[in-house]
Amino acid sequence: MKFKLTIGFFIGFTSIIVLIFLSAVVAVIDYRVTTKLDGVLWTVPAKLYSRPMELAEGLKLNQDNLIRELEMLSYESVIKPDSPGQFYLSKNDLKIYLRGYQDQRSGIFDVEFEQSQIKKISNQLGISEDLIKLEPIVIGGMYPAHMEDRVLLNWPEVPQILIDTILAVEDQNFFNHYGVSLKSISRAFLKNIQAGEVEQGGSTITQQLAKSLFFSSEQTIRRKVMEAIASLLIEFHYSKEEILLAYINDVFLAQSGKRAIHGFGMGAQHFFGTSIKNLSTDQVAMLVGMLKGPSLYNPRRNPVNATERRNLVLKVLNRSNKIDDSNFENLKNKQLGLSAPNYRTETKYPAFHDLVRLELQKNFDEEELRTKGLAIETNIDPVLQESLENSIRETKKQLIKKYGTKLNDLEGSAIAVDITNGEIKSVVGSTSPSSFGFNRSINAIRPIGSLVKPLIYLTALDKYNEYNLTTILDDSELSLMSGGKLWEPDNFDKKFHGEIPLHVALWQSYNIASARLGLDIGYESVESMFTNLGIQKSVPNYPSLFIGSFELSPYEAIQAYQTIAADGFYTPLRSIRQIKDTKGDLEFSYPYSIEQRVRPEPVALLKFGMQQTFIRGTARGYPLDKIESWNAGGKTGTSDDQRDSWFVGFAGELLVLVWLGFDDNRPTPLTGRTGAFQVWKNFINSINPVESDKNVLPRIEYVWTDMKDGLLSGKKCKNSLLVPFIKGTEPKIIPNVRRSCATKFDRSDSGVLDKLREVFEGGQG
Amino acid sequence: MKLLRLSIVIFVFLNILSCASNQSPRDISNYSVPVDNFSKTVELLVANEAFLEDEILKINAQNPSVQRILISADDLLTQEKFLQANSELERAYRITKQDGALYLRLAHLRYKQGLFQESESFASKGLLLSNISSWERLLLNVYLKN
Repeated sequence: MKFKLTIGFFIGFTSIIVLIFLSAVVAVIDYRVTTKLDGVLWTVPAKLYSRPMELAEGLKLNQDNLIRELEMLSYESVIKPDSPGQFYLSKNDLKIYLRGYQDQRSGIFDVEFEQSQIKKISNQLGISEDLIKLEPIVIGGMYPAHMEDRVLLNWPEVPQILIDTILAVEDQNFFNHYGVSLKSISRAFLKNIQAGEVEQGGSTITQQLAKSLFFSSEQTIRRKVMEAIASLLIEFHYSKEEILLAYINDVFLAQSGKRAIHGFGMGAQHFFGTSIKNLSTDQVAMLVGMLKGPSLYNPRRNPVNATERRNLVLKVLNRSNKIDDSNFENLKNKQLGLSAPNYRTETKYPAFHDLVRLELQKNFDEEELRTKGLAIETNIDPVLQESLENSIRETKKQLIKKYGTKLNDLEGSAIAVDITNGEIKSVVGSTSPSSFGFNRSINAIRPIGSLVKPLIYLTALDKYNEYNLTTILDDSELSLMSGGKLWEPDNFDKKFHGEIPLHVALWQSYNIASARLGLDIGYESVESMFTNLGIQKSVPNYPSLFIGSFELSPYEAIQAYQTIAADGFYTPLRSIRQIKDTKGDLEFSYPYSIEQRVRPEPVALLKFGMQQTFIRGTARGYPLDKIESWNAGGKTGTSDDQRDSWFVGFAGELLVLVWLGFDDNRPTPLTGRTGAFQVWKNFINSINPVESDKNVLPRIEYVWTDMKDGLLSGKKCKNSLLVPFIKGTEPKIIPNVRRSCATKFDRSDSGVLDKLREVFEGGQG
Repeated sequence: MKLLRLSIVIFVFLNILSCASNQSPRDISNYSVPVDNFSKTVELLVANEAFLEDEILKINAQNPSVQRILISADDLLTQEKFLQANSELERAYRITKQDGALYLRLAHLRYKQGLFQESESFASKGLLLSNISSWERLLLNVYLKN
């Protein structure tokens, strides 16, 4: 009795222990399965996109840049576009088969150009379309440590052909089993016994999903049992649709550098550069075919294998009556049609990425960025970015050729922004722009040299009752005590130029005239102007400030110049446009914000002076019509001992700033003109901006003045220049020596009409 | 005699013009049209936001592509979806920066968002355009007045 009890107790006790153990195992597996399927699997890293290019009737656009963008988007140039991702360009007519993006449907469109402007856009039926949108380029992502990347699909977004193909190839019995199919296992078991090794898997889709959740491809009995338990649990917890959707979003398809490509949504982007809904049957077949061996059937590395495998999948589809015979014959002969691997893989443009990250940190935490699948639409223009990168790289090569290997370590930074709305179009933070590291665009704080002068001159011109462009400045020897030391600035040419009009001192960049002007207007006024322009630093009270000892990063400097280029309207620079969630709803936006900080008239006068830099100053060399059509203006800057070479210039709708120098601050052989301006020039020449619109300020009038004494002159007088003035501030005196060549009415052609209008409209405008 | 009279008239006329040019510099900070001169319409526009909005939304863009976007922006604006309306206006702004209809809407949108300084700045920027009508000019001035 005692014995029986002991045996019974033992069996009972053991059973309880085993049951507890099994329950614990099941509970652990259950926890792992549900945690992953409810959470981690549905986390998606934030993606960074370039701005999507919109083509609209009336838009001014350089046709060459558009074609460059199409090539970056892997659009193929063909004679007759008949599938998405193709285009044909004949002189002024672009026929394009769009892939489709967001609300932009896929289809053929005709874009007609007239010079540098889009004249008409029509669809295949010849009906006007007004607007079409190209898809953006993915420029990076906020990847988690394991670098899984996916584009999450919801059930309605999954095309039927994808479902049909997966089921036909991977699990025909999917809707009839409970996670494990004995029929499939026994078939695989027999095959494996015959082969003497594990040759075939009998896994259902549920099992495959369970397997991927355990991150292992090992095929042991223990693992198989755990997978089977997990499969049963998955089937217990989730519907068939949920399981299939998880599978579609989670399957591993490829490795791209450090990044793991998961799911068919990401697979479509990675291999075909488009969303899953735009894939053709053969493309779907290729992706599904890859499941058997993502590496073996990788279409980029093994195109033959991938084609054979795709055709096998098409055959399965044909046999299961999903495609008819003629379709099958047609599809199996098609090319794989992959997009170029560039621009769709690793994080690009590190300096830009850096700016975006800094901006994002203000409103999002790392966790949100790595998991919520946010779509971050940036302002980057990929064509401008590539051009800026090339320009800084190539200019450095040219400079090394000219000055020798001592410039091997030359570093630099450049930023291009849209003048009006402050959108950052491109940024480089190094002369090796694609390498990650020290981002000089925000971190190199350097003396800005003569880039400070326009800011000083604007401070003066804003006091329009005291200063105008022909106010005479003194560029004679200056000597004063500063910080207990004698300060005696000199000019770059080591000469003194005596009395000269203000605008000449500006475009000739004379130091002493600038220092005297600064001292006259005072530190307080200068500081106030700096603040208005968007500089947040305090201004030191020493006179070398007025000739460029003031230090700024390229980013801070271009912010100040944006306010000037935009006629006195300060706009905070923006690298991000907006952020959308996975449903496409607006999550956060960075709206265009402006504040009028300086009156437009003094700024117009300054811009005139900066234009002279191009016409006769340190940036000369462009034809006059080009300078005028771009409304171009700029300023070179060189710091003490030529340690820093700067150039800032606007052309068309772009403002571009360049800095070159050594990280250890040793002298360079470069001036603003021979260094930074060369980068600017190479960049602007490569993108050839379209002409900019001009505003007419009714309170500005042009008057012929003499370039030496600044007094009235005439068109026919020597050494004369048509200079803008705020009405009422123009010089009144005609020196006797110019009485014969200048008359009082030798002013701008519309002078009299302006006066009449003034009398009748009094104060409007 | 006739010639002498004509010469006197011309002389006087030129002197008037000359006086106009010799006056001391005017304050150029003020871009506003003296709105008091525009009678009750302006007073109504300033006082009645709904009336002002009606008038703003009646102003069409010069370019059909831009107009298409403005229709969508107006729709969002009237639904008080300000961020979305702004996105649309910025889309249009990337196509052209020379359309008074756009600046009016941007000024109005910022006004509705309570961003009065920005509203004023957009209006001031719009007033720099050379191709706007007198009515658009007057409407822009309302935001400076507001």
